[in-house]
Amino acid sequence: MSNSVILNNAIHKDLKVITKTGEAYGSNVMHAMTFPTEFRDVQSCYPIFFCKDPATGQLYPTALFGFEKDQNLFLNGDSWEASYIPMMIKRHPFLIGFQADPEKGEGAKKPIISIDMDNPRISQTEGEALFTDSGEPSEYLKQSMARLEAIHRGHEHNKLFIETLLKNELLQSFTLEITLNNGSNNKLSGFYTIDEEKLHKLGAEALASLHSQGFLQAIYMTVASFARIRPMIDKQNAILA
Amino acid sequence: MKEQKITRLVIVGGGTAGWLTAGIIAAEHFVDSKTKPNEHSFELTLIESPDIATIGVGEGTWPSMRSTLQKMGISETDFIRECDASFKQGTLFKGWKTGQDDTYTHPFTLPHAYAETNLAPQWQSFRDNVAFAEAVSSQNTLMFKRLAPKQISTPEFAFNVNYGYHLDAGKFAEFLRRHCVEKLGVKHVRANVTGVISAENGDIASVITDACGDVQADLFIDCSGSRALLLGEHYGVAISSKTDILFNDTALAAQVPYTKESGAIESSTLSTAQTAGWIWDIGLPSRRGIGHVYSSSHNSEERATEELLCYIASTVSQQAAEAATIRRLDFMPGHRTKFWHKNCVAIGMSAGFIEPLEASALVLVELSAAMIADQLPANRHIMDIVAKRFNEKFLYRWDRIIDFLKLHYVLSERRDTAYWRDNCDLSTIPKSLSERLEIWRHQCPWHRDAVHVDEMFPSASFQYVLYGMGFVTQQSPLGSRTDREAANIGMQLFQENADKTQRLVGMLPSNRELIDKISTYGFQKI
Repeated sequence: MSNSVILNNAIHKDLKVITKTGEAYGSNVMHAMTFPTEFRDVQSCYPIFFCKDPATGQLYPTALFGFEKDQNLFLNGDSWEASYIPMMIKRHPFLIGFQADPEKGEGAKKPIISIDMDNPRISQTEGEALFTDSGEPSEYLKQSMARLEAIHRGHEHNKLFIETLLKNELLQSFTLEITLNNGSNNKLSGFYTIDEEKLHKLGAEALASLHSQGFLQAIYMTVASFARIRPMIDKQNAILA
Repeated sequence: MKEQKITRLVIVGGGTAGWLTAGIIAAEHFVDSKTKPNEHSFELTLIESPDIATIGVGEGTWPSMRSTLQKMGISETDFIRECDASFKQGTLFKGWKTGQDDTYTHPFTLPHAYAETNLAPQWQSFRDNVAFAEAVSSQNTLMFKRLAPKQISTPEFAFNVNYGYHLDAGKFAEFLRRHCVEKLGVKHVRANVTGVISAENGDIASVITDACGDVQADLFIDCSGSRALLLGEHYGVAISSKTDILFNDTALAAQVPYTKESGAIESSTLSTAQTAGWIWDIGLPSRRGIGHVYSSSHNSEERATEELLCYIASTVSQQAAEAATIRRLDFMPGHRTKFWHKNCVAIGMSAGFIEPLEASALVLVELSAAMIADQLPANRHIMDIVAKRFNEKFLYRWDRIIDFLKLHYVLSERRDTAYWRDNCDLSTIPKSLSERLEIWRHQCPWHRDAVHVDEMFPSASFQYVLYGMGFVTQQSPLGSRTDREAANIGMQLFQENADKTQRLVGMLPSNRELIDKISTYGFQKI
């Protein structure tokens, strides 16, 4: 359980955040949610698939880092070796909380920045300061807030993206079968991908609609990201060799 | 001579039978309510009386309902939300064997590895240690634990273990009506049928209605309920009574709220034996449907009501028993001597009704409508041949249903009332059943027991009931080569089943949890 509290420039005035990567900081994850707004960067490093949130059954796009639970093939000791790290990874230890927004009426809520006090990145001595001496947000905190804002919008955007993909029947479940150099066969299931056959058969009207929503590019970047599987297999083979 | 083409179909009656039939036919054929019937499309009209309330039987379905709904293009999420539906994994029987605390299940999932290996002979040596259904099927444990058959991330209509539904029949008919009219091109007429105009050859040329004049058609489907307006009243096709075999002829039905909003939803139809019948208990998301079906020649209405209220008081609350409104339904167990006569075919209660045990009512509607959809006669001449096939097939099916239902009673050890003693009297047991029982004393049911490829009850169902009720099969100690091979892998298969059970128990949510999630998030299509 995370212990999240609303960020406050008086209470958290001296708080610092360690921005390193490594297992100690929870970087050993197999995959993480991503958003069309960062697909351009993500697809240059990682394959993009879709998976379901086990608690809700809802689909979301995800960037793959490994082939099994807790495996991140891009993590080499404390170094995450890739030109881009997805927002959902970089957001830690911050998260979006919701607070009542009486201005917008009863029951309305507005997103606010919270911090997980149990996260190992929290420190009093090491890392990036959150506030300046005068109590203003530091550059680092400003960036983090902008990232959370982007994630918040990304969630909404993802919902629409998935809805559109499903409506056009462009998603299909698939099993990734990998044969490693040592002869072992590995099956990765529970993921979904773009149905390219259906994509090629889409009519002009459907394509124009996808394009106007900005989803066509995201779809093709997802398809292109498939090419990133090979380098991951190579990494896995190198580890086993 | 130019043969009269079959292009216009009329369904009389708008309960679940009528709308299910309309949906199944319209899902298979091109039906158009806008244009006149032509080479490319049929005209399918359903005439529903605005004055007759639907009877609302059949709150349990078979797993076949999943593919029926899917084929009609229905979203499972919409169906569950709008029909107050929950998941049914089989039936849990209580008190049928001794009248005491005995229980057994008839799960929808076949025994483990059933296609290749018959585990029933292997189980005989462990019969004192483990219940048959528990040894061979994971579902037995899931049913006792009231777990769901799938997760929220499982696509709609797919499953971890096989399932059907419990549903609100009134809401279901309404839901199907909207789908049939809005999506499938079925024409809906609200009127009372007041008469029939015959053609020269004895066919029905048209039905006379009070609000919409005469409605002509090439084929009339009678879904008018037990009245059987067309097949019964017009043609006078008789009912073949089965009271001499299955005695139940009265049902007392009540709807009972949960004691708290989040009360657990059962994963099975609960069937609890009484002195002269049994009580059904069906858990929907918003309420429980509880009823007592009994034999009026063995029990008084007063006594039957008392037993029902006693059940409600002990399984729900005293308060619920006091507040319950009870509705009585009388029926004559039996079916028509034929179902398709001339250009008229009966589906649903108009074709027959035995009793709700094993929920055979809705599945018979599905099977009948599917056969009509599949073999829809091209012209009037062919129709007589299709009718003959249909009658043969469904007379056979009714006989199998009767045998299977009777099986539940004849195996009972109860002799406490005349009802149970009469049920076990040899003169009340059909020969087809008593012969099979003789064979099963020496050989476990298996694929060889299926006479037809599309038997309604697989041999596995007979296994679940026989061994659930404590029936003993004494096989030859010599054993065939096949038996010995099965014995070699038997232990491994039992272990596999136990492992699978444990895995499923760890991952499946409760029925209630899954229903709540469906109302919030819904299932995905993929």
